[in-house]
Amino acid sequence: MHVLSKEDFSEFINSLIAETSLNVVGVKSKGEKFAFGPLESANQLRLDYDVTILPPKKYFFPQRETLVTYDVSSGYQSKSLADVKPTIIVGAHPYDIMAMLHMDEIFRETKSDPNYLTRRNSSVIIGVNIQNMSESCFASSMGCATIDYGYDLMLTDLGDKYAIDVGSHKGADLLNKYSKNVKKALARDIQSVGKKKQKIMNKTQQEFGFSSELIPEMLGKFYEKTSFWEDHSEECLSCGSCVLVCPTCYCFDVMDNPDLSLKTGERGRTWDGCLLEDFAKISSGENFRNTKSARYRHRYFKKGKYLFDRFGFVSCVGCGRCSSNCLPDIANPVNLFNDMYDESLKIGIQIDPATIPDIKIKTGDTIDYAPKIATIVKKVPMTANETMFELKLDDGSELGHQPGQFVQVSVFGVGEAPFGVSSSPTKKDTFELCIRKLGNVTSKIHTLNEEDKVGIRGPFGNGFNAELLKGKDLLFVAGGLGIVPLRSLFNYVLDNRNDYGRVILLYGCKEPRELLFGDEILSLADRDDVEFKSTVDRCPENEVWNSNVGVITTLIPQVDFDPQKTYAIVCGPPIMYKFVIRDLKSHNVPDDHIIVSLERRMKCGVGKCGHCQINQLYVCKDGPVFNYSKIKGIPEAL
Amino acid sequence: MKPKVAFFDFAGCEGDQLQIANLEEEILDLLGQVEVVSFREVMKEHSDDYDIAFIEGSCTRLQDEERLKEIRKNASLVVAIGSCATIGGINSLKNYQNMDDVKKTVYGEKASLFDTYPARPIDAVIPVDAYVHGCPMTKDEFLHVVKSLLLGKKPEIPNYPVCVECKKNENVCAFERGEFCVGPITRAGCNSCCVNEGTKCWGCRGMVDNPNENSQKEVLVKYGLSVDDAIGKFKLYFGWQGKKK
Repeated sequence: MHVLSKEDFSEFINSLIAETSLNVVGVKSKGEKFAFGPLESANQLRLDYDVTILPPKKYFFPQRETLVTYDVSSGYQSKSLADVKPTIIVGAHPYDIMAMLHMDEIFRETKSDPNYLTRRNSSVIIGVNIQNMSESCFASSMGCATIDYGYDLMLTDLGDKYAIDVGSHKGADLLNKYSKNVKKALARDIQSVGKKKQKIMNKTQQEFGFSSELIPEMLGKFYEKTSFWEDHSEECLSCGSCVLVCPTCYCFDVMDNPDLSLKTGERGRTWDGCLLEDFAKISSGENFRNTKSARYRHRYFKKGKYLFDRFGFVSCVGCGRCSSNCLPDIANPVNLFNDMYDESLKIGIQIDPATIPDIKIKTGDTIDYAPKIATIVKKVPMTANETMFELKLDDGSELGHQPGQFVQVSVFGVGEAPFGVSSSPTKKDTFELCIRKLGNVTSKIHTLNEEDKVGIRGPFGNGFNAELLKGKDLLFVAGGLGIVPLRSLFNYVLDNRNDYGRVILLYGCKEPRELLFGDEILSLADRDDVEFKSTVDRCPENEVWNSNVGVITTLIPQVDFDPQKTYAIVCGPPIMYKFVIRDLKSHNVPDDHIIVSLERRMKCGVGKCGHCQINQLYVCKDGPVFNYSKIKGIPEAL
Repeated sequence: MKPKVAFFDFAGCEGDQLQIANLEEEILDLLGQVEVVSFREVMKEHSDDYDIAFIEGSCTRLQDEERLKEIRKNASLVVAIGSCATIGGINSLKNYQNMDDVKKTVYGEKASLFDTYPARPIDAVIPVDAYVHGCPMTKDEFLHVVKSLLLGKKPEIPNYPVCVECKKNENVCAFERGEFCVGPITRAGCNSCCVNEGTKCWGCRGMVDNPNENSQKEVLVKYGLSVDDAIGKFKLYFGWQGKKK
């Protein structure tokens, strides 16, 4: 440990500020509050602050940023990060440093986010031990009131000087290069730092009446207690303040901003929040978390359970920002968890300390947010609202998808939307998407023609495991647009017909004119190696239909299959799954023989933005294809 | 061919059209994309041959309805601009009063010569394709909506409250400065401009689709506003939306 007089510390900061290659930011006053902002002089620093309005994560994950720029004539280009200056953050409190460590894991897991990590890796964190604690702070309860790692330098105010703990080579180099008169700390300085840290750890404005280790386990027992969540969220304004000020929240939205020329523009991302009403809403109007209590509960589960199961930490550091920014005063985790604990005592729920789950954090390639360009080589209208597009990547590469995977399709200036690939991987040069006109991107795609260009990212997600299904009997159950992703597997199976047992397709749509892939599908009736049945919910008088009328489940009793040898592959509108699965189960199909493909609002496609989350799972990353046995216990799934 | 656009005004202050006239350097870029055939505030010419009609102001008389229907017939897209047109605006304050008293206050002895009825937004009379909220609307959002329409896209207007933008802008909450703010239920899209400038949100963009009005009122009262004044806060811009419910 070292010490630096306050005067020399100011000199140190001022010499950092004088260095134009560095971006020096620190805690300053803002009205009656505090905020991190650019420093012009060390005098502006307010290291005696209690809490800043926003956490310093904004320097790595800014409120708004450009991911990609585009030019209609040349395509998409990732925003260059070459001009990112190293940011020196002066005055981060220990809880905010811990939050950065959480964010690092999240932005690094599976696929790394280049924008976050480039900024983060070049930054230097000069922390400061808490001198004044905000009224809503419960960092001690979360074990984050002090910290022994994660910083480059850590300051402790010792009256006329700062004690400086060097936490990294980066910190040491900075101190060596820019400061004068750094002295070795004396024994009594080290002792005073120890005492101060001890005092902070014990001093707490708000605290849990139980150990925070119980949180994941306790939450697990309260998911179904609907009235508990409704009571606590009754006054929720759905304003998102609690999540927007949170140092560990990372959800974002993506949108295109065209220039007035309409030929060029950018695709940006901005902070989003799961407390906001439309967060999980898709173009068809379906909102997968449509009550304020479901959204309110999701916030607690995300922090306290889902991230714990994924990373081994409860992703709350006790800064108290959520609670001090909640106008109706319902966002305070201390109140909620204390109520939950009291309630569990009252109703006699036993809670054991949550065991740390077996975690293997995978890291992988860097995300490329810039789509490749593809050309529409064929456009075939299928129904009044659905059109099939055959696409070819301009760089000549193959899409290389598995059946059941999806791609993100971009239309210049309009945006990006996910679509299941409907062609089999055996079709190599081109791939097919069948798109229903519904929202902005899909409506615009319908106005495009052969030779027009779109952007493609992907393929993404988990597809069907065609290998595992070899030798099995396959029962495809498709409702409406659900035939689209199933077709990629179905055609793959037909192209490798000898590898599979019986192939049965049950396909239903609302009315005859909504039948997709009409000729292709109806011609299946001529094949003797495929059993095919179709149905419509109703047939209007002016249409012709010679087959079954009734919902899709009416077809299931019409086929005879051996449930032990058969795998059912199911895709359709959200309402369909429950009923189809119920009927399959009544035919003794084992749970792990049911495979479903789910639809959610997928924005980033790579497990970061949070929109497609169903409880602990990301549909874009863990799905869209799931084995039913893996999701049957997941309440938001079906 | 560039789409032809026309501007129309009803009961309002014309402040929204002024925002367009004040677009400065961007106006040339805009004129590269559209042809203006009617805009009383800046030109003398007028034509009824237009594709996009921008309408400012609220409808406050029965005879205004005919003119609106005529515009709807001529235009393939109708865009309401500014609070009066999108949500009824402050004109709707009169809806809480006796119409005869209102007329007398405004026209005095000649009150009987004038017609009036409760103020309403444009979409209470004709279907509206897009909205540019705000009192006045901001240039940025106007351009955002125009660009979206030119691209054949439904403009994305937030359905979350002003708090979201306020937090992103790291403002000190208006309530913490002793102000009474209706940002928690007001539709965002203004980049929390009023709070950024140190005041509060008055609600000029109208309420989000599903506001928790009771909670907002309780918050106002908790921070010291009388119940009557809290209700008054809702009348300034939410008059039409509030009564409709």
